[in-house]
Amino acid sequence: MANLAPNGLEAQAQNGKDNSNLKPQNSKPGMQSNPAEWEPKILAFCCNWCTYTGADLAGLNRMKYPDNIRVIRVPCSGRVNPQFIFRAFQKGYDGVLVCGCHPWDCHYTAGNYYTRRRFLLMKRLLEYAGIDPGRFQARWISGSEAAKFRDTISKVTEEIKALGPNYKLKEE
Amino acid sequence: MARVGVFICHCGSNIASVIDVEEVARAAGELPGVVHAVTNKYACSINGQEAMKQAITDHKLDRLVIASCTPRMHESTFRKMLTQTSVNPYMLEIANIREQCSWVHKDKEKATAKAIDLVRMSLAKVLKNQPLFTSTIPVHKKCLVVGGGIAGIQAALDVAEAGYEVTLLERESSLGGKMVMLDKTFPTLDCSACISTPKMAEAGAHPKIKLMTSCEIAAVTGYIGNFQVTIRQNPRYVNHDICTGCGFCEEKCPTKLKSEFDQGLGMRKAIYKLFPQAVPAKPVIDAEHCKKLTTGKCGVCAKLCPLACIDYEDKESFVTDTFGAIILATGYQLIDWPGSYPEYGQNADLISGLQFERLVNASGPTEGHIQRPSDGKEPKSVVIVKCVGSRDPAKAKAYCSRACCMYAAKHAHQILEKIEGAQVYIFYIDVRTPGKGYEEFYDKTRADGAVYIRGRVSKIYEEGGKLICKGEDSLIGKQVKVEADLVILETAMEPSPGSKETAALAGVSTDNDGWLNEAHPKLRPVETQTAGVFLCGTAQGPKDIPDTVAQASAAAAKVLGLLAKDNLETSPMISAVDTVKCCGCGFCEKVCPVKAITMVEIPGVYNGKRVTRGVAQVNSGLCTGCGTCAAACRTGCIDLLGFTNKQLLEEVDALWQI
Amino acid sequence: MNEIESNLRQRARSLLAEGKISCFIGWGPTRFPDRALPKFIFKPEEAEQLVYNEHCLNLLAKYTLAFQYSNEVIGLAARGCEARAINRLIADGSLKRDNLYLVGIHCEGMKENGSPAEKCQYCCHRDPVIYDELLGEPAGGPENLPRFAEVEELENMDADARYEYWQGQFAKCIRCYACRNICPACNCLECYTEQYRTGWQGKQANTLENSLFGFTRAYHIGDRCIECGECERACPMDISLMKLNRKLVKDVQELFGGAEAGLSAEDIHALGSYRKEDLEEFM
Repeated sequence: MANLAPNGLEAQAQNGKDNSNLKPQNSKPGMQSNPAEWEPKILAFCCNWCTYTGADLAGLNRMKYPDNIRVIRVPCSGRVNPQFIFRAFQKGYDGVLVCGCHPWDCHYTAGNYYTRRRFLLMKRLLEYAGIDPGRFQARWISGSEAAKFRDTISKVTEEIKALGPNYKLKEE
Repeated sequence: MARVGVFICHCGSNIASVIDVEEVARAAGELPGVVHAVTNKYACSINGQEAMKQAITDHKLDRLVIASCTPRMHESTFRKMLTQTSVNPYMLEIANIREQCSWVHKDKEKATAKAIDLVRMSLAKVLKNQPLFTSTIPVHKKCLVVGGGIAGIQAALDVAEAGYEVTLLERESSLGGKMVMLDKTFPTLDCSACISTPKMAEAGAHPKIKLMTSCEIAAVTGYIGNFQVTIRQNPRYVNHDICTGCGFCEEKCPTKLKSEFDQGLGMRKAIYKLFPQAVPAKPVIDAEHCKKLTTGKCGVCAKLCPLACIDYEDKESFVTDTFGAIILATGYQLIDWPGSYPEYGQNADLISGLQFERLVNASGPTEGHIQRPSDGKEPKSVVIVKCVGSRDPAKAKAYCSRACCMYAAKHAHQILEKIEGAQVYIFYIDVRTPGKGYEEFYDKTRADGAVYIRGRVSKIYEEGGKLICKGEDSLIGKQVKVEADLVILETAMEPSPGSKETAALAGVSTDNDGWLNEAHPKLRPVETQTAGVFLCGTAQGPKDIPDTVAQASAAAAKVLGLLAKDNLETSPMISAVDTVKCCGCGFCEKVCPVKAITMVEIPGVYNGKRVTRGVAQVNSGLCTGCGTCAAACRTGCIDLLGFTNKQLLEEVDALWQI
Repeated sequence: MNEIESNLRQRARSLLAEGKISCFIGWGPTRFPDRALPKFIFKPEEAEQLVYNEHCLNLLAKYTLAFQYSNEVIGLAARGCEARAINRLIADGSLKRDNLYLVGIHCEGMKENGSPAEKCQYCCHRDPVIYDELLGEPAGGPENLPRFAEVEELENMDADARYEYWQGQFAKCIRCYACRNICPACNCLECYTEQYRTGWQGKQANTLENSLFGFTRAYHIGDRCIECGECERACPMDISLMKLNRKLVKDVQELFGGAEAGLSAEDIHALGSYRKEDLEEFM
């Protein structure tokens, strides 16, 4: 946004292009406005030690899953501030996933126990606010559970596809 | 103004076969802040790295996005490369377009679109990166070993032998722990004292080992490489600096008490050595029972002592020392079985396995003759009950105590060997003998004549001078009654009293049963969650002597790896507090898994007045960088460097902000 | 009530005269007969200005933060809600118990525009839970009031209706932050909304940003809310904020159990602790 503008100006100067040229980059499958071709965008916060490793393992094993997912790597699921979830819906994600190590398996011993409490509460608050259940989910996926990662992403993508585009708490 | 270089790696065909890398580079080149965007055949190769270094110079880049394999693979490689350039190693973000894109998607167009998104997210983040700098902390080349059983002794000797100073702390008045109480060790049947007392003596006399008996940890502060440990010296009432251990005092002391070392089967005095071969071989006074200390009358020991070592005024004292590493070897005790098994009754001839060890020990109260505690007669029929408290979650512990199957077989063997015509019956649930020579030992015991009965004992009572053990033989499905002269209960191990509190002082957590938690059950078995604190022996869980000693040496090896370094590099990706905004609510302190956050008072101004106010402070030596605090802070004034709120919010916003 | 008023004046006077406190916070009269407002008394002779009647709507606890970090001892009239708010502030590190002198009073609930005040209708703690001295005797109060009934009503609606409801509520919001400023659980030195560098929250007073502020604030205080109802009372736009706060209070109670917030100064809030056996639904 505003903070990117100065850099943007410089980039334009470098490339000699005007601002409108930046826009077409949005015309990717996931961003198309045509409802028939609508594909959800899903954000996943994955902890570095378990779920992110599990996702890497899924890649290593050449497993296939839908491309709707965008992963943000965090050191621990305990790092994920519930406000990030509001932000994701506000900015246009159709679904959000928070993933971490299994509760007894946290790399930092106890980070995910706090994650569990935070998001048990957050999930209920989101639903109370009117967000459809299913748009926000949390899962424990260990570094060896590549198949669980694949299955979770596939399932969550299917569920959110069925729910359609999210307009709730979304910025115009 | 940021000058970002974006490098898209082909990874041969691993990425390029699915993702149109040129398109990604082209799209990246149009993004704000990006001044240079190119592809690279193999970014991690020497050529790839040289190309990036050259680009940094040519384009005056101040930060990088590398779209390649997972950061778990080459983040450290690329950071290392950046140390040779003008760019700070932490001004780098990696977009994972291999493991999480080209390898998991087939559709070229969609995968390319996703790769562009991932680059945009990394770019948004890297624009908010701040240069970070590793700091070094000096390592204090000294190790504290807590617990003077065989685990602590072994670990202390290993560290000391490598040339480092060790302080060996023991709560009792002598080294030795449980092993020195045992008679023989399975499966080789070598004399336990014969192999453990030389080690005790060696530890006691080692020039690099400072022995501190009757001592406990009172407080631990600091972090890896620099622990400040306050040690409480409990009063001994005997000046060990002068005492020669002549033993006159012990001989003449009028107070006789049951010996803890002999498990209540022998006697000791109120001024006493724990056992004859105690290290240090000097007595202490049992303040609870000493006549002089309780009633003020007596003082025989002081009168007799040729060197005036007795000091009835002795008080507890504290010393503080600095250590680079701590090994916790706090050991175990046996459960208090009468509390859990009232149905077994109370009888002098109903003894624990450890009591039997003293009974059969040549230096024990009976000089090694197996005699019934009640009447001193030699038992002809002995029942051994296994799993008393182990594998019995309803009554005591759910876990297996691991050593009992073997020492039960050992006890059976010793009885059959020492008492001619004796009958030994062993009630068991399973027989578990994993270990070198263990199964063979068990087989031999059965061949010697021990009768194994599969089932639990439900009741023990006295009848006609005999102890009757009632139980079920589950292999024939019938109730059995066995008459015994002596019953030995092989009771469960549990953590030694106070081990949980000691561990907590050192920042180590315990499991539901109170055993100390290792950092990872498979890959970091002797480390703990607190860097610089290690564990070994039965403090971590039930185990036998070979495993204990192996673990002790493993912990020592870990300590040596640490002490061999002069300085430690600490990760700069840790939490930092904005003290101007911090309101001192302490929520971060509450959630920190490693207790790296403390509340401190700092001067400040409030309502125009100079005040002192509480704020959070992060101990950079302890912080592991999980960020749980950052997510707990409502204000956002504690933040995780490298994963700041701002960076993550930008990453969330990235796909929609331009 | 008049007895409490005269006792309050007398206690404030002597506490100030004895030098035990440097300020007493109670309520004072206004030019409207049915309105009383917080009053700071610094001199013994000013104690006559204190009033106590059924119009003392304002929660006094947060006014003590004017003396935050000073070592002065502040006297305070403490009803059930004040006492719980004081516990909240002590537990959150904003106040020190030693710097407070609490004159406890029993409260039968206040009146607003002639009828029982909205914020008092579900109050189950009419006696102070913490005090240095108590004027009169504890008299108890109602128990098990159906304070979650409105929450349950909303829970039973479908997601879209709930969304419409809250967007409707927050469409009214003018972002005056009265709810935050009055709230004893909102005790940060600087609110996250002010952190424009981090950019947690847009400052625009549009429905979306307003509702995100509302939900975030509710989440921030959810496990610590003492249900004093001050946010809702202070809201000039009549937003049903307690319906939001009580949802979190209810969930915290159902999910993690434990005592109600503010009953003790050693209050450990739900999100600052955990149990290994907490509900598991993320498997």
